[in-house]
Amino acid sequence: MTTQNLAASQIEVGQHLFRFELFGMTFNGDTLLASAVAAAVLIVLAFVLRAKITSGVPGGVQLFFETVTGAARTQVENLIGLKVAPFVLPLSMALFLYILIANWLAVLPVQIGGHDIIPPPASDTNFTYALALLVFVWYHVAGARRRGAGKHLVQLAKGHVSALAPLNLVEELSKPISLSLRLFGNVFGGTIMVSLIMGMFPAYILWAPNVVWKLFDLFVGLIQAFIFALLTILYFSQSMELEEDHH
Amino acid sequence: MDEVLAYIAELVAFAIIIFFVVRYIVPPARKAMRAQQETIKAQIERAEQTEKRLAVAEAKYADAVVEARQEAAKIRDNARADAQRIVEEMRVQADREVERIRVRGEEELANRRQHLMRELHAYLGQRSVEVADRLVGEHLADAGARSATVDRFLDELDAMSARDEAAERSLVASKGES
Repeated sequence: MTTQNLAASQIEVGQHLFRFELFGMTFNGDTLLASAVAAAVLIVLAFVLRAKITSGVPGGVQLFFETVTGAARTQVENLIGLKVAPFVLPLSMALFLYILIANWLAVLPVQIGGHDIIPPPASDTNFTYALALLVFVWYHVAGARRRGAGKHLVQLAKGHVSALAPLNLVEELSKPISLSLRLFGNVFGGTIMVSLIMGMFPAYILWAPNVVWKLFDLFVGLIQAFIFALLTILYFSQSMELEEDHH
Repeated sequence: MDEVLAYIAELVAFAIIIFFVVRYIVPPARKAMRAQQETIKAQIERAEQTEKRLAVAEAKYADAVVEARQEAAKIRDNARADAQRIVEEMRVQADREVERIRVRGEEELANRRQHLMRELHAYLGQRSVEVADRLVGEHLADAGARSATVDRFLDELDAMSARDEAAERSLVASKGES
């Protein structure tokens, strides 16, 4: 019991490798590195796809991208309409693939002194805040463009029922927060679990729960990436729908 | 030392995860991928076959059009030749008919003319007899004329007999001489 408490107390939260200060701001180097690695993986995959793309029998990479595109296309078409917001398709696809790869970095045991060099970037709120902010700003701009700035704000407050305006405002504010913190919580929780396992079990046994948890974490990473992309499409759909659409 | 052992344990875990993924996740994924590729390949093949069939059908169609055009040209030529022949035949026939009608007309005309001449002969003969009768009658009605006539007739008879005698004589003479 005492060893477990000891192990739990050894876990450091909010500690980052390669942290540095620049222009009065603090940079978490490991998060930057990991997000860059995830981006590099995705970009390399995309270039491989572009190089090997064919209208004949597709290879594995192309099939993978086609599957993702197909699913995202269906969602965008059903929720918004591809003609209304075609740009949401590549956005949601990019978010899904990027977050998926970023989350799956968690499985790699690349460490220095017990610290991950490339931790899943979503275990740092800065990463998830950035993504959520991008989506938040973008869907409001898209909504304002489609409905007009004033009407967009009115629609935003009114929602479907005018009486619920205060709730609508709260909901609107909670969107970016929930979007970012949901992803952060799930991924960060995963890293905490790994640390706990590392601390709780002796070396000759810890591999077993580690395997179980990391496999589960792969699944969680997939689900979270999917949810993030789906909610992105959903938010765009809500902010871009016109009043006339509801008869 | 503990940290190193823990890290080794984590590497082992990672190896197991890799094994698990390769053993249980990659095969079905690969199978699904293969199935998808097979489907696409089959679709592409079908599309190619369809395209080929289309090309064949188009070629056949073009051939048929050319053939039909040739056939039409042949039929047109034949019809033109037939028409030419029929026109020729008709012309010959018409010529023959014209000739026949002309000949018959001429015959008719000749018949008419003959008939008319015959009638005219008969009529003229009758008329001249009538006229002669009347003239003779009128002449004979006058006594003087009648006697003159008789005299002249007798004179003529005399002259005729004298001439006959002379002829007879000369005939006898010529016989005697021979």
